[in-house]
Amino acid sequence: MPNSDDIALIGWSASPMVRSTDKTEAQMLLEVITGAVDDAGITRREVDFTCAGSCDYVAGQAFSFVQNIDALGAWPPKRDSHVEMDGAWALYEAWIRLQLGDIDIALAMGSGRSSTADPSLIYPMEMDPYYLAPLGTDAASLAALQARALIDAGKVTERQMAEVAARCRHDAVGDPHAQVTGEFGIDALLAEDYVRSPLRRHDLPPITDGACAVVIARADKARELCEHPVWITGFAHSSELHYPGMRDLTSSPSTTLAGKAAGLEEGPVEVAELQSAFTHEEPVLVEALGLGADVAVNPSGGPLAANPIMATGLVRISEAAGQIRDHGKHRTLAHSTSGPCLQQNLVCILEGDTK
Amino acid sequence: MVQAVQSTIQFPYKRSLGPVVGAFMTALTDRRIIGIRSGDRVIVPPLEWNPDTGDELAHDFVDVGPAGTVVSWSWVARPTVQHPLDHPFAFALVQLDGADTTLLHAVDAGSIDAMSTGMRVAPRWRAARIGHITDIEAFVPGEEPVMPAGDGGPAEEPVTMMDYNASITYSLPVTPNALRAEQANAEGRFLGLRCPECGRTYTGGKGYCPVDALELTTEHELDLPQHGTVTNYTIITPVQYPGQTETDPFARVHVWLDDTDVILGYQPLLDTPNDDVRIGMRVAAVWASEAEKADLAATAEGSLLGWMPTGEPDDDDPSLVNRIQ
Repeated sequence: MPNSDDIALIGWSASPMVRSTDKTEAQMLLEVITGAVDDAGITRREVDFTCAGSCDYVAGQAFSFVQNIDALGAWPPKRDSHVEMDGAWALYEAWIRLQLGDIDIALAMGSGRSSTADPSLIYPMEMDPYYLAPLGTDAASLAALQARALIDAGKVTERQMAEVAARCRHDAVGDPHAQVTGEFGIDALLAEDYVRSPLRRHDLPPITDGACAVVIARADKARELCEHPVWITGFAHSSELHYPGMRDLTSSPSTTLAGKAAGLEEGPVEVAELQSAFTHEEPVLVEALGLGADVAVNPSGGPLAANPIMATGLVRISEAAGQIRDHGKHRTLAHSTSGPCLQQNLVCILEGDTK
Repeated sequence: MVQAVQSTIQFPYKRSLGPVVGAFMTALTDRRIIGIRSGDRVIVPPLEWNPDTGDELAHDFVDVGPAGTVVSWSWVARPTVQHPLDHPFAFALVQLDGADTTLLHAVDAGSIDAMSTGMRVAPRWRAARIGHITDIEAFVPGEEPVMPAGDGGPAEEPVTMMDYNASITYSLPVTPNALRAEQANAEGRFLGLRCPECGRTYTGGKGYCPVDALELTTEHELDLPQHGTVTNYTIITPVQYPGQTETDPFARVHVWLDDTDVILGYQPLLDTPNDDVRIGMRVAAVWASEAEKADLAATAEGSLLGWMPTGEPDDDDPSLVNRIQ
């Protein structure tokens, strides 16, 4: 049973997930912040701390996060922070901040307009500037090296990867937030050309514009405001070496560590929302977290259905929370990742009020 | 159809290399690939710290390769402009002979059919090497390094710096509010937006009141005054950087538009010696003539040329200086 120091999700909202939006990043945030505070039954005035996750290179503007503050209604001034990370890490900072105990409500957000430019040209600038960036190492090329390592190690096949894509697209059917949905035959998928061998188009996430916001509160406030708070019972992240050539790409020890630190082993989870943006990453993460066949992985369709860079991980957390509040689940897991080939991994464990 | 503005941003980074990356880059100019000892392992490319413990590594460098084995690879059928080759190639993790880690680089194999895990590759060197990861143009199948004709030889001094240049073309949406503000500007007007909640007035183009987080639309529009007061200023001594066209010190002033909350920051002040710029000066907007607009079309300034002193008495309110936002 949560005690007064515990922290819960009390409201959240995600934008439509589209290939190209006509809204600015601040306008997308305006919408999801309004959605999240409405969902929590509060106004912006009651939010004591805000933290955003976004990326200037993606936005194409230096200090783009300063403009995004316009979406917060930050007057009188609010305590505000920003991470150049997925919004899942913004939520992590907000969760840490509430533990100080002097304020009750925080809002975390993540936003990205990947349609602003070619993501395969932006990504290399975020890599090691000496050894990787000058080679133009885009996300799909790096992911493909990991996929090949897994295939060579006998841990996954191209057919299994296609099955992951087909399942995610199927599960996303009817989800208003999904961008890529539908029924796809495995043989037809495998007949497609490679984008970066051994990855075909279906192994890659879509390019998505989108945003997400989540409101969290300390226990007493959460109970006052919310009939069914979703408790954060564990939250941790862990990182490995940046350079892919210095890691074993067939496993993800930092995911295992983060899961342990978040208390994953203390009980079963029913659903896992994983930021597996490439099909082959799903089996790596499932193995690293020790998830059994009874755990539903990415029932939302996951990042293969919609991948709003800088918000994809925060969406995983809101989806995992929705499984508890809206779909009767008791304990769920959300995962986020950052860096090439699953370099850094975050695990958030969520629980409902009753067992 | 949403309007978008395209802009190409250059990212010209100049980075210092330090004692370890610098040694690696210097060795490349001598057609050598070096790793660094870390415990009983040899790490390539070299790091400054032991990846297992975080301890600083002694600068115990080891020559590796030049040939190695492909441990993983991906075929790039359509290279990007940032990729090292302009025709189809493979990215590969290459375990160089004598190394315990793999180097990520390109393999120029001609065809995906020539690629396989476990294949042997060797570097093809560039003739003119500057101490950069692309001094290795690519790896090629086989055991023997490919030496260039007209070899430029090794660097005479240790390499300590490297350049990194990226160029990204962004396309950002122009909102309807911004379009109307631009149109008003072209007509010699300042378009404002008044928040129905707090009554604050903003210059046109803003999509929302940042205080109340309310969307602002055409129904909140109003024309703003063309006169104002200088609340603050700075005299800028230009340093030369790409895009800087000024050569002599020049003034930029903050103008508070009459009867509004609007401060226009960093505005040009016209026909005024720098020594005459004062807080409290009364100024009026000066717009480009039709002829001048043609010249301005390529700039982002719009058709506002700047501000001209009106000759009215100064406003001597001492708190003016605080109004910069």
